[in-house]
Amino acid sequence: MKTLLAAASILSLVLCLGAPVLFFLGILPEASFKLALLLASLGWFFLATAWISYRKKPS
Amino acid sequence: MADRLARLTSSMDRLYEFDREPVSADKLQSGGKFAGLFAGEHVAATEFVIGAFFVLHGVTARDLLLGLFLGNLLAVLSWTFVCAPIAVRTRLTLYWYLRKIAGPGVTFLYNIANAFLYCVLAGAMISVSATAVGLLFGIKVPALDAVLPTSVGWVIIVLVLGVAFTTMAILGFEKLSRFAQVCSPWIFVIFIAGALALLPKLGVERNLSNLWQVATTKIWNGVAAEGQEKFGFWHVLFFAWFCNLAMHVGLSDMALFRYAKRWTYGLFTAFGVYPGHMLAWICSGVMVAAVGRQMDPGLMAFEAAGAAGIGAVLLAGWTTANPTLYRAGLALQTVTPNWPRWKITLLAGTATTVLACFPVFFLKLLDYVAIYGLVLMPIGAIVFAEHWLFPLLRIGQYQAEKGGWIFNWAALAVWLGTLAACFLLPIPLYFKWLPGWFIAAGVYTALMAVAPVRRTA
Repeated sequence: MKTLLAAASILSLVLCLGAPVLFFLGILPEASFKLALLLASLGWFFLATAWISYRKKPS
Repeated sequence: MADRLARLTSSMDRLYEFDREPVSADKLQSGGKFAGLFAGEHVAATEFVIGAFFVLHGVTARDLLLGLFLGNLLAVLSWTFVCAPIAVRTRLTLYWYLRKIAGPGVTFLYNIANAFLYCVLAGAMISVSATAVGLLFGIKVPALDAVLPTSVGWVIIVLVLGVAFTTMAILGFEKLSRFAQVCSPWIFVIFIAGALALLPKLGVERNLSNLWQVATTKIWNGVAAEGQEKFGFWHVLFFAWFCNLAMHVGLSDMALFRYAKRWTYGLFTAFGVYPGHMLAWICSGVMVAAVGRQMDPGLMAFEAAGAAGIGAVLLAGWTTANPTLYRAGLALQTVTPNWPRWKITLLAGTATTVLACFPVFFLKLLDYVAIYGLVLMPIGAIVFAEHWLFPLLRIGQYQAEKGGWIFNWAALAVWLGTLAACFLLPIPLYFKWLPGWFIAAGVYTALMAVAPVRRTA
């Protein structure tokens, strides 16, 4: 579970970076880029918080 | 008076009791931990302002890149060769080491100065966040030359944010610190995303073929904004070097490096300063150029990244103001014996919020950062001299501790005298600290050397 959360968190951060790259290349329009960035950001906060909380739980 | 000082000293010692003993060998941390720690430490709300100001000060692209590269290198070397070796040899925080050298009285004054400086810094962070919230309500960011609050709306937003940040700092410092760990990499990504997204607006081709041409003509074109001093290579180099002066040459990062296995761990600070104090500043420079050179971090981030950008400015201010408020509170606790933590944080938060209403602190952030480092720098020079030069010159170390002095008057005189000398030095503010450091170290060594009773046998 920990590994899954870590992978999903990192993926959402990669998506945060991928969205402006696609916008810069003209593949995504501005509105879609900003929406994608917002959704990927929310994903990061949700998943990374869960990842950190999971890490801090005593085994 | 003596009783009062003794009580203050005693309460101050109790406050820092937990780290009184040198760090034991089993508590030392790996290099990887240090790399991770520094990687997340140098991306704050103020990066939105600093990088943008380089554009407004008319820095050229070449001067910026070279200045930031070399200035950050000097900062890393200062951590590695000045701060880390003393921390690793003593395994103490600056607080306890300074107490041995300068006495509890000087340490107390150092704490108070630190608390005030922290409050101003946290205030600047609240102001940066206020630009993001102000954008939602159509409130204009004060002009570059503003000193006093420019509108009721600005004051209301700053007060609301100040109250919110302070309340959250009181309710859950620990939880917010964990949240800050989550925020840090994301804020850094938003810097890059924002700059990348605004490149087409500046005319950069998709194959990046004209990137350097745009950088040199539309971003860092060497033309200062009206009323702004023209900056060159040396300004950028010195700024990158001294923006964490209190931490490296000022030695406050002894608190971290006392856990390092080797002094070479100072090199790990490169993982923090190059992303935070080079890449993030470059990104905020791109953003300010794309919004017509308006110093408005909220607008810059919104234009670049939409709602996520607004969130980044707000969260960057919040998560970095929080530990700053905490540190200010910790320092203030020395003058408010037996006050509970919430009351101290409330005091620090109130002072910070009032200061944040004055836009001068964030609009003159570069000058403030220079003053912040300058004020604390002589203490670092005094400690450096006592640690390294005194044994070489056979001057007795730790006279304050051995003699039970409340004040080491030589240290206090050198601290204040160096600041006075720096004030009088006929060179620009950014460059004053370097001769100041040599003045402080030299005069302190000379003063302690001429007192014959203080020489070792």
